[in-house]
Formats: sequence, structure tokens, C-alpha cells
Amino acid sequence: MPPLDKRIKKFLKNSIRVAPKISNKGELAELRAGLVSQYPQTRKDAIKKTIQQMTLGKDVSSLFPDVLKNIATNDVEQKKLVYLYVMNYAETHPELCILAVNTFVTDAQDPNPLIRCMSIRTMSMIRVDKILEYVEIPLRRTLQDDNPYVRKTAVICVAKLFQLNKELCIELGVLEDLVSALDDNNPMVVANATASLSEINAMDPTVISLLDLIQSHVSRFLLALNECTEWARITILGALAEYTAQDCVEAQEIIDRVTAHLQHVNPAVVLATIKVIIKNLVQIEPEAKKIVMTKLASALVSIMSTPPEMQYVALRNIRIILEKYPTLLTKEARIFYVKFNDPLYVKLEKIDILVRLVDPTNVKQCYVLMRELKEYAMEFEPEFVSRAIQGLAQLAIKCGEMTFVSKTFEILLDLLESQDALRNDCCIAVCDLLRHAVGNEVLTANACELFSTWPVNEVLLLSDSAKCNYIWLMGQYPNKFGELQDKLSCFIENFAEEEPLTQTSILITVVRLHSKLPGSILQNVLELATNQIQELDVRDMAIIYWRCLSMPNADQLIAELCSSVSPQIENTLDTFTPDVLEKLLTEISSVSSVYFKPQFDGPRNAVHHHNVVRGRHIDELKDLAKNELARKANDDVLLDFDEDEDDLVSPRSSMAAGGPQSHMDDLDNLFDFGVSSSSQNNGNGNDSIDKGVADLNLGKPEQQQSNQQQSQQSQNTINSNTQDLLDLF
Amino acid sequence: MGNFFSSMFDKLWGVNKELRILILGLDGAGKTTILYRLQIGEVVTTKPTIGFNVETLSYKNLKLNVWDLGGQTSIRPYWRCYYADTAAVIFVVDSTDKDRMATASKELHLMLQEEELQDSALLVFANKQDQPGALTASEVSKELNLVELKDRSWSIVASSAVKGEGITEGLDWLIDVVKEEQL
Repeated sequence: MPPLDKRIKKFLKNSIRVAPKISNKGELAELRAGLVSQYPQTRKDAIKKTIQQMTLGKDVSSLFPDVLKNIATNDVEQKKLVYLYVMNYAETHPELCILAVNTFVTDAQDPNPLIRCMSIRTMSMIRVDKILEYVEIPLRRTLQDDNPYVRKTAVICVAKLFQLNKELCIELGVLEDLVSALDDNNPMVVANATASLSEINAMDPTVISLLDLIQSHVSRFLLALNECTEWARITILGALAEYTAQDCVEAQEIIDRVTAHLQHVNPAVVLATIKVIIKNLVQIEPEAKKIVMTKLASALVSIMSTPPEMQYVALRNIRIILEKYPTLLTKEARIFYVKFNDPLYVKLEKIDILVRLVDPTNVKQCYVLMRELKEYAMEFEPEFVSRAIQGLAQLAIKCGEMTFVSKTFEILLDLLESQDALRNDCCIAVCDLLRHAVGNEVLTANACELFSTWPVNEVLLLSDSAKCNYIWLMGQYPNKFGELQDKLSCFIENFAEEEPLTQTSILITVVRLHSKLPGSILQNVLELATNQIQELDVRDMAIIYWRCLSMPNADQLIAELCSSVSPQIENTLDTFTPDVLEKLLTEISSVSSVYFKPQFDGPRNAVHHHNVVRGRHIDELKDLAKNELARKANDDVLLDFDEDEDDLVSPRSSMAAGGPQSHMDDLDNLFDFGVSSSSQNNGNGNDSIDKGVADLNLGKPEQQQSNQQQSQQSQNTINSNTQDLLDLF
Repeated sequence: MGNFFSSMFDKLWGVNKELRILILGLDGAGKTTILYRLQIGEVVTTKPTIGFNVETLSYKNLKLNVWDLGGQTSIRPYWRCYYADTAAVIFVVDSTDKDRMATASKELHLMLQEEELQDSALLVFANKQDQPGALTASEVSKELNLVELKDRSWSIVASSAVKGEGITEGLDWLIDVVKEEQL
């Protein structure tokens, strides 16, 4: 029980209150009555209840005109609630929004900056073209507002307006205002103007020359940097990273000014700073470079003490940076040692980084890392262990020293003895080592000796590449394997079911050893590969070998083809191509740096221009969609056995009606997909456009088919459901 | 004691309850000017109202919730959203605009046919009397066919929002009528 005085207060409040209350049921009629009540208190309660229903997902859009009546009020709280409602439902009632225009315009002159800001924000947010006609005066006024809070919102609104209606935005000339906002004396406004300009630039690079603007405002940015909030800093740092310094003095200055932010608590700020520094690092003097590098290293170490999700992002970015500056973190290896409570995805990345950052000339460090990886390989998580074994092989090959390689080899053999489950990974690792240490008789003998003891008839290896490596080894050193024929025929039995890598490997090995094996095996494999395999690579390869074998000097030809010594592999770590690396370095701390996929440049937001609600027909479409949803909801209810039998017929017809609509949508999706894929090809320049088009043509019918199948299936299930119900009745 | 409570409730009643009054009329008739004449007693420069203005004013111990709705052709259809619970309608006519008198008349009668407005009082302002060539109140009344109105308390007052003439007189009449009906 609450204390007595509180109860008395509550009682008095309730008994004095004359205004009727709104019940919690939230029925539309009651809410409507409350919204137009004569009592302000009741109206406010009704608005609250309406918003409550809205957030619960109930459709209260039919109350739109009544809620809108309450928009003009001096109560900031109520105003905010109504604005919230208007934002949510403006798209379903575009023509009614016009009734709010006057209030928006009036509110943009309100003495309260919060209300001014709210009005302009909402106005540019509502995607209704009729509203946009009236945005000019409020937008212009708020851009010149004397309150920085309003200005910083208004500059963002310019970008929104640009997205909704580019022509109008250019015609109004607010872009010039936006550019002059870069000279604002408030750092928040500068940051938001920068963000807004870069958004506009991303939508249409022809309208403003962002690079020139950044260039002329570098000193402004550097000044603003220290005074603004963390997110504004990220924006400004992002802009600075676009700028290429004129000479080494300027580069040095930029680095000096931003370095302080390497110690920021927000890892995003740190990464953004790192991006700016890396951009300018190439230009500065070598001595200064060393100092900056140590600072960079300590910053990277500091962002490793964040929660695992952020660590992951940091690790992905470090992986990119390490490729450019391999020695950057050599002394900090300890930070990247795996902790027992790291999530798996962090563990895997850490192993990758560890192998990369180690200095191959420092054998002692290599040994330390090798022992560490050996420990990891004895853990229990299969993916982790497999990555650790792979890491061991990568490390040995990176180090390259013969004693080190043999030591790693011994570790691998030990691991193999301890656990049969590690065969897959150890087999790959051992083969990698053998390809590195070409001609090392001892290693080869040991490996083959062990491998040839593996029993033939049971399932030896599971992964495709492990099988491939095993078979390659048999082909390479046939004399060191006992029961060669049995082992191979064991693989050949399952030839058709194997994956392409293994099939290729079997094919090559059998051809290579054709003189040692009975002719029937060769014949068998070639026939299988040419007749039963869909994989083009395998089939073509088989055809070529067959052709070679049928030539007059077949043996000599095959010997020439197969006896070539495969080159010694020096590095098993995958690397980026130089241009991808350079692009990724400019995109540090963005999503593309996490996926290692550089952004495709060009107008990527082309689709967004058309999403303004224009006129009636979109509305009608929405209604259609809504009706369809409602019908589908009906279907669900049907399964509750509560509906009349008459209704049972309707879902079928509705499905039929819904059918073409969904196909339309699918087609639309298909189009979107097609456009993006072909344009991507365009951007990468690797694949020709022709291929993209071909993909499109191939993709279309297939997808369509599958769509049809799906819809047919769903129809079938519905039909069968209704059939069951009918039977029941 | 009982007297004390009833007077207190009366006070609360008066404070809490608002009377809804609509100001309607064709565009450019002077609705927004009249509203702000009532609210702050000054002439404000106005722009065409897209949507509505609403102000709450205290007048003779009553709280009036006065809605000024935009009069442009495109917005007129939305007037109906505001009809519910309306105590009185003020219809403003530009007395100099003889050409559109017929339109004004049509809109007025169309509006008065609405079910929700059957009980509300009607005050017509024959506005812009300060301008040369303005029709008099009786002429406007004839143009608008006001005599046809039955079962409704109505009145027409010649006014000039710019000079502030006739506004308070009209409102006084309206308040008297409304008070009688509502309280």
C-alpha cells in the first residue's frame, strides 16, 4: 500500500477531475470521442492511449483527422505525441497531411527551439509531396536560426529534402545555405552539414563537389574536431579521410591534430582517426612515421579491450591494416592470444591475425607462437582446432626455416596420433608443408608412411579439400603407398558423389598413374567423368585427357603433362589485390571493411528517389496490400475451426487474387536484383557486362519457376487444409 | 457548504470546459485576421492558411476554442472533419467580392445541412466594410439567402477586421446565444 498522504492526493485528484477518463481497452470509438472531447485533459489522455495502441501495432490510422486536430497546442508534450503520430501515419493519409501544414509553418517560428526543431524535422521526414511544397520558408528560416540546435537539425533536413525531391531542393537553393553552414561557428552544425553534404554527394555526385568543399574547409574541420560530440567527430574525421594533403607538412599537421583522438573511449572514433592517419601516413617523413606507427599500434591494442563484437570489427580492420604495414603490431602479439572466454568468431580472427603479425625472421617469436597454436589445437571446439592446425601450417610456411618446418611436422603427427578426428585438417596441413619443403625426403617418407597405414575401406576423410590433398599425395609419391590400387578404387567407387575438387584430383592421379594401374580403372574413371558428371571443369578435363591418351605418342605426352614439378609454395596466407587493398584502407571502420568487400562507387541510391508518396494510386496499392494481409489473417483464423463454412471458400479465391500480385512483387524483386548485380559487375570491371546480362537471363526463368512452385505449394497446402476442414464438418 | 462546493465545481467547469467555435468562409475573406483580432487584438499579416489555426481565448468567463480553417477550394472538403461538437459557426464573407457571393452561399448552405451542425448557432460577418464598394449587411444577407434558414439562431453583422469594427458586437451576440443553449 502506498503511504496515506499519497493515497489522499490520488483520491483528491480523481474526485476533483471532471474530465472523463479513457479506459484502457483502447476501442476506436472511445478514442475518437476522447480526441475531440471538450476537456483538454481528456484529449491528451486519448492521444496517449492512441499512441499506445499504435506502438502495440494496432492500426489506429482511421483516427488521423481527429488526432491532427490536437496538433496546435502549447503543451510541448502533447505536441510531441501528435507529431509522433503524424510521422507514423502520414503515408497512409497523404491528403490529410496538408491540414497540418499551417501548424508546421507556425511551429517553425515558435519561441521554443525544441518545437522549431521538431517541426522542421517532421516536415522533411514526412514523405508526402504536398507537404514538400510548403517546406521552403520554414527550412530557409531554420537554416538561419540563431539557435545551433535548430540549425544542426535543419542542415540534415536539406539532405532529406534532396532525397525526396532533388529538383525542388536545387531550385530552392538551400544547398548554398548548406555549404555556408560549413563555416558555422558551432561544431555540431559543421559536423551535421558535412554529414548532410556527403549523403547528398552519395546520392548524386554531380550536384556539389564534395572534395573541393572538404579541401577548402580542412582547417575549419580540424578546429571543430576538438569541440564536438563523438559522433560528430566521426563524421568530420570521415570527411578528413577523403582529403589528400598537399605536401608532407600539411599531412604531418593533420596527423598531429587528430592523433589525440586515438585515445578516445569510443572505438568508432579511434578507427576513424586511424583511417585519417593511414591516409596521410604515406606522405610524411620516415622518422616521423615511426613515432606515428607506435601510436597507431597502441591505439589498435586499446580497441582490443572492448566487448567481443567490437573486437571482431577491430580484428577485421587490423587484418586490412596489417596487409599494408605487416610489422605494425609485431611487438604486440601477446594481445592477440586467445582467451578461454572469447567467442568462437573472435578466436578464429585472432589466430589469423597472430599468424599474420609474426615476424618471419624472428625465429624465437615463431617458436613461441607455434607452442601457443599447439595448445589451441588441443582444445575441444572443432572449428577452432581446425583453424589452429591451419595456422600452424601457415606459420611454418611463413617462417620457412627447415628445422621449424620439421618441428611443426612433428607436432602435426603427434596431433594425428592423439585424435582421429583431426585427420582432415592435419592431412591438408601436412600436404601444404610437403609442397613447401619440396624434396625433403625425411618428411615425405614419414608422412606417406603414416598415411598409408590408414585403413582403406572405412570413410577416411570427410572434407573435399582433405580428400583432394590425400589423393594428390598418392599421385605424387605412388611408390611410398602400399595397396595403392585398393585405396584409389575405394575413392573411385564414390566418384559420382564426390565434390568437384576431389573428382579432379582423382582424375589427374589416375591418368598420371595409368601405367601402374590396370587399364580398366582408367577407362572407368574417364567414362564416369565424361558421362555422369555435370561439372564442366571435370568433364572438359576428362575429355582432354582422353584425347591425349588416344594420340599416337600418348605415354610421352601424359608423362610431360603430369611429371612437371609443382612450384614450391611460399605463402598460404590469402592477400588482397593491391587496388582492393587501397580501397579497403580508405574504407576502414565501415561495413565494407568487415566484409572485405570494397564499396561500389557510383550512384548507389538510385532506387531511393522514387519513394515519395504521390497522389492517390499508391494509396490504393497500399489498401490492396492491406486487404490482402487481412485476408491472410483470415486464413489463420480458419485453422481455429471457428469460422462458418461459407467463409471456407473465400481463401481460395483470395489466394487466386493474391497470386498475380505476389508474382508482380517477385518480378520487381528480380528486377532490383538484376540491376544491382549487373551494375556491380560494371563497377568491378572484372566481369564483362555481357556476363551480367547472361546471368540475368539465366537467373530469371529459374527464379520465376521456383516462385511459381512456391506459390503453387502454398495454394496446395491451403486447399488441403480447407479440404480437411470440410471433411471434418 | 453545499453552496461552496457547487460554486467550486462551477469554476472548475468553466475552466475545464471549452466551447468549440469554427470560423469558415471562402479564401481571402479574412478569417485568420478575425481570429487574431480576437486573440491578441491586433492586425497580423497573414498568408493563405493551409490547414488550420486554432487559438483558445477567454471571453466573458468562457473558454473558447476557436478554429480557423483554411478556405481554399482544395481544403474545403476537409471542413467536415471539424464539425463534431461545434457550438457555433462564424461564417466570414468578403463583402467586396460580389462575383463569388454565389459560391459562398452554396458552401454555407451545404455546410449547414450537415447533421453534426444542426444545433450550432451561426454568425455571419459581412467583412471588409472599410473597403469601398462593400455590400451592406442586408445586401449580403440577401445574397446568401439567409432568410431561408429555419430552426437556427443566426445573425449577420457588418464588420471590418482591420479596423476592429463589429467583431466584438458579433461575438457578444454569439456568446449569449450559445450560453443559453449550452448551460
